[in-house]
Amino acid sequence: MRYTFYPGCSLDGTAKDFHRSTLAVAAKLGLELPELEDWICCGSTAAHNSDPLLADALPAQNLLAAGGRAVAVACAACYSRLKMANHHIAGDAAVRAKVAEVVGADYDGLTPVRHLLEILGRDMRREIAAGIRRPLTGLRVACYYGCLLSRPPEVTQFDDAENPTLMDQVLEIAGATSVDWPHKTECCGASFSITDPSIVLELSDQILAMAQAAGVDCIATACPLCQLNLDMRQKDIEARYGRRYHLPVFYVTQLLGLAMGCSARELSLDSLFVEPKGLLESKGLLGAGARSKAEARR
Amino acid sequence: MSPTTTPAEMTPVPIEIEQIGGSLAAEVKAWSGASPMTCYQCAKCSSGCPVSNRGDAKPHELVRLVQMDQRQAVLTSRFIWECTSCQTCITRCPQKVDIPAINDALRALSLSEGLAVAGTAVPVFNEAFLRSVRKRGRVHELGLMVAFKLRTRRFFEDLDKAPMMLKKGKLPLFSSRVRGRSEREKLFRRAAQGGAPAPGGAPAQGGKP
Repeated sequence: MRYTFYPGCSLDGTAKDFHRSTLAVAAKLGLELPELEDWICCGSTAAHNSDPLLADALPAQNLLAAGGRAVAVACAACYSRLKMANHHIAGDAAVRAKVAEVVGADYDGLTPVRHLLEILGRDMRREIAAGIRRPLTGLRVACYYGCLLSRPPEVTQFDDAENPTLMDQVLEIAGATSVDWPHKTECCGASFSITDPSIVLELSDQILAMAQAAGVDCIATACPLCQLNLDMRQKDIEARYGRRYHLPVFYVTQLLGLAMGCSARELSLDSLFVEPKGLLESKGLLGAGARSKAEARR
Repeated sequence: MSPTTTPAEMTPVPIEIEQIGGSLAAEVKAWSGASPMTCYQCAKCSSGCPVSNRGDAKPHELVRLVQMDQRQAVLTSRFIWECTSCQTCITRCPQKVDIPAINDALRALSLSEGLAVAGTAVPVFNEAFLRSVRKRGRVHELGLMVAFKLRTRRFFEDLDKAPMMLKKGKLPLFSSRVRGRSEREKLFRRAAQGGAPAPGGAPAQGGKP
């Protein structure tokens, strides 16, 4: 299987661990992800906050460059902006004409855009099952989707808007126990991480508290902002609200990669702020325990 | 109309519902394509809104203020700057009132009329972000954070975060620059002109950008 890969800005910086683990998992699965040449930023929140035309034009420029080939995205925010632009451009001839003027070429809004979880959870279940070397047995995970994968459903058509399960399904194939919990799609505060962190602390605290109440060992995400807010700010949240969480926050591809036998280095596990080593060793997923577990499988 | 008239025989009269509201509703619709007028105040949006308890208005209240053309109250509201664009409201709205898009329009109007609430750093962030995209094609996160700190003079907030991220290799010092800066410059200029062709020639038709 082959998709043109649109990484987006975060995957080159704050989410480089998402980038690395995505490519590591893809390599194991035989999923080819050649990077879109000369891709530019999708515009993110800043563009749609400022100018609706620019917010459609930046994704359109990228999707035109894909030359009609289906595009795969890992970042939930980029995914949302590319899908939103497609929705506007394909659904409104006036928008399409205006975007054509801005971009300098006509784009029909029909280039398929798929999130990595759609590809893994819908099309590659068999390959994943066949590639599990170190099942995540006994690992209780809260799958956290955040806002932009499933909402609004008319635009993303990702999964059930209120109770998505694609990530749960992928990690269950990998042997993990995904729990039912109520904050799967609540907002973490997103880009207010920079402009008003108090919003992020409040919202992310509620998410961590719910995950803890569900009795999980860790959280899995598929969005650079969600991951950073829950992970890097977890200490600040604990200090502000007088709580103790110590919940590692993984990218879904890091957990899947572990199950498929990728090394900690290939998955950039040392980039996480909440130290996951103790947890992974106790579950036999890192170190000596991991080796004997893999050998037992063989 | 006689009592025997069937619906098929009636001539539909297009109603521009925004004419019932004031000019603010019409401006919001022109800017964003989203109409605030079909809201019937069920308040489902406010039940699910993650920031409805923080601001000076809840989402359904804000929409009502737009319907009532309360320009000053709406454009000076703190709520429009605290909306996280999480899309929960429109997902659950029985009328599909696109509050995130309405808020985008209201932010732009509020800025252009100089009414943005004191203390919000969102406009400065957005400007620094888009300048980075315009210049480099991509956002250089470290550069963006420095630009934001310089502009807002918030030097002491989150002082530990950049070193934390640098240590984890999450903040590359240098960023890639994408080719085609002059093309990008034209794209941004044409977008600012609302899609009108840039002076000095019509855009090329077809082909790769």
